[in-house]
Amino acid sequence: MTSSMTASPATHTGLFYGSDGQYSREVGQFLRAGLEQGHRSLVIAPSSRVDLLRASLGRAAAEVRFMDDSIGYAPQWNAYRVLLDFAAESPGVRSRVVAEQTLAARVPAEVLDYRRLEAAVNLVFADSPVDVLCPYDAGSLPAHLLEIGLRTHATVLADGDTSPNSRFDDPAALLAGLSAVVPPPPDATTVDCSGPADVALARRLVRTRGTEVGLDPEVVADVAMAVTEVLTNALLHGAPPTLLHVYQAGPTWVCHVHDRGRGPVDPLAGLVPPTEPSDHGYGLWLARQLCTAVDVGHDRTGTHVRLHMRVPPGSSGAQR
Amino acid sequence: MIPGSERTPVDLGSLEPGTHLCAFHRDESQLARLAETFVGHGLSAGDQLLYVATDEQADALLGVLPDHVHTADAADALATGQLLVRTFADAYGTRRPDDLGTVADGFRAAAELARKDGFPALRVAAQMDGLAPLLGSAEEVLRWERMSTGLQHDLGVTSVCLYDVDRLDEEHMTSLAGEHDGLSPERAETPLASFLAVDEPWGLRISGEVDLSNRDLLHRVLVARAEVMPRLHLDVRGLTFADIGCLLRLHAVADDLPDDGWLLLDGGPAILRHALDVCGLGHPRLRLAP
Repeated sequence: MTSSMTASPATHTGLFYGSDGQYSREVGQFLRAGLEQGHRSLVIAPSSRVDLLRASLGRAAAEVRFMDDSIGYAPQWNAYRVLLDFAAESPGVRSRVVAEQTLAARVPAEVLDYRRLEAAVNLVFADSPVDVLCPYDAGSLPAHLLEIGLRTHATVLADGDTSPNSRFDDPAALLAGLSAVVPPPPDATTVDCSGPADVALARRLVRTRGTEVGLDPEVVADVAMAVTEVLTNALLHGAPPTLLHVYQAGPTWVCHVHDRGRGPVDPLAGLVPPTEPSDHGYGLWLARQLCTAVDVGHDRTGTHVRLHMRVPPGSSGAQR
Repeated sequence: MIPGSERTPVDLGSLEPGTHLCAFHRDESQLARLAETFVGHGLSAGDQLLYVATDEQADALLGVLPDHVHTADAADALATGQLLVRTFADAYGTRRPDDLGTVADGFRAAAELARKDGFPALRVAAQMDGLAPLLGSAEEVLRWERMSTGLQHDLGVTSVCLYDVDRLDEEHMTSLAGEHDGLSPERAETPLASFLAVDEPWGLRISGEVDLSNRDLLHRVLVARAEVMPRLHLDVRGLTFADIGCLLRLHAVADDLPDDGWLLLDGGPAILRHALDVCGLGHPRLRLAP
């Protein structure tokens, strides 16, 4: 179908809804219009939103792929992987994607990373045949979370019409402003990992301390992998000394890799994996697929990568 | 004082292929420790090991070896031919060689045979008490060792020459130490991972952790095994960690196999399969056992 093979660029639209009815009407219409044009459709959303859409679409819902946000955004950057995998199933066929998560449940490090995720969609998927609609619950979300949506979408949907968003920020500038370095606290545990053999010692530290703060064994294995990859990047592409700091930062436990490498780091590095097997390019991608949130920044002391893992409530490491 | 003992022993974990080492022992227990450390590291690295010693010395080594190598069974290493034990007479003969070229040919043949048997390289640990009587003089022993250093560099054969201090005077020991690339340690850290040959089914048992420090070592073993038989069963039940670089090397080896070849990963931590999936490093010839 020629209409489904259109080469027009991606769109990234925000919807700020005030009621269930408005949500059903606007998102339902967005999806139905896509189905009529032969587009494929994917919805990542909380179960309550999925229920509304199923009811709104009726039999047409069978043509839409639904995924609960607890899967699609676990962790948040998994949403990119879901999008890539969905697109790869039918190369060149245009997709309509509705993407919403339970944003109010996110901790500050995740909210910061979500702001990056939303801004980067405009660049990473710019040439992809996809129309992304991001609904924001204007009736319940606090202003600072709604502001993410207002700054990161080039267009907004209201009453069935899409119009330019006057509050849209340049995504590259926004991303650059979200890479400020946060130094490790004075009470961080720090180890020098400047040699290849030190990477195993770093893993040992991560396993011990991660277990002590109450992370699940699977999560400890994830963060050990992520730390290994980021340290390996630093050893291969950065400059010594390479340090690993581990510490608590509010509700997250942080593994902070710092090397003397010259920056700045491309803010889009590692947001998507290499398209073909490559010697490099997987480290940050994998870290984002394993960790709660990932901060990448550069200052006069070098490159900093902070890997956040949420500490389970009630565990010994849960904060205060 | 043992000659050369003031020198720092080499790091067996970062040896260049073809390194010619020596070690001096005062008694059989020290000999066993030296041999265990060298042989254990060599087996863990996936190389073929030739231990030249008496039956009693070989028994002493086999008794302590399992403590050194990850989950290794010395009997397995003997059964697969990864560990070979020879007497000095079997390895070097009972008559003085006509010329050192004959010795070079023997080394070359042994190294080639190791590769044909699916090992990336040959390492030799040899108890050298029989060398002086065979060659006839201390000067000839020095000449032999000098020739061996150059030859082993060329062939990529790593070795340790094990000398009994009670049979040598100090001046000769000092000269011997000078003809080698370094001292082999009596003790060394357990390698991060071991890559042990398996014959049935043909492949490799990978245990421990693979990362930036040892993934190229694994790659050379995989290539050597695949050259003999392009269908490799990789027992990774004892593998506790593998980084993306390791997975990339598995992918690269699978990609280089002929169409009817494969690598079968049997076991391994859940994160390994997850990382393969997340990074899109699956390959039709890289199979995962259910």
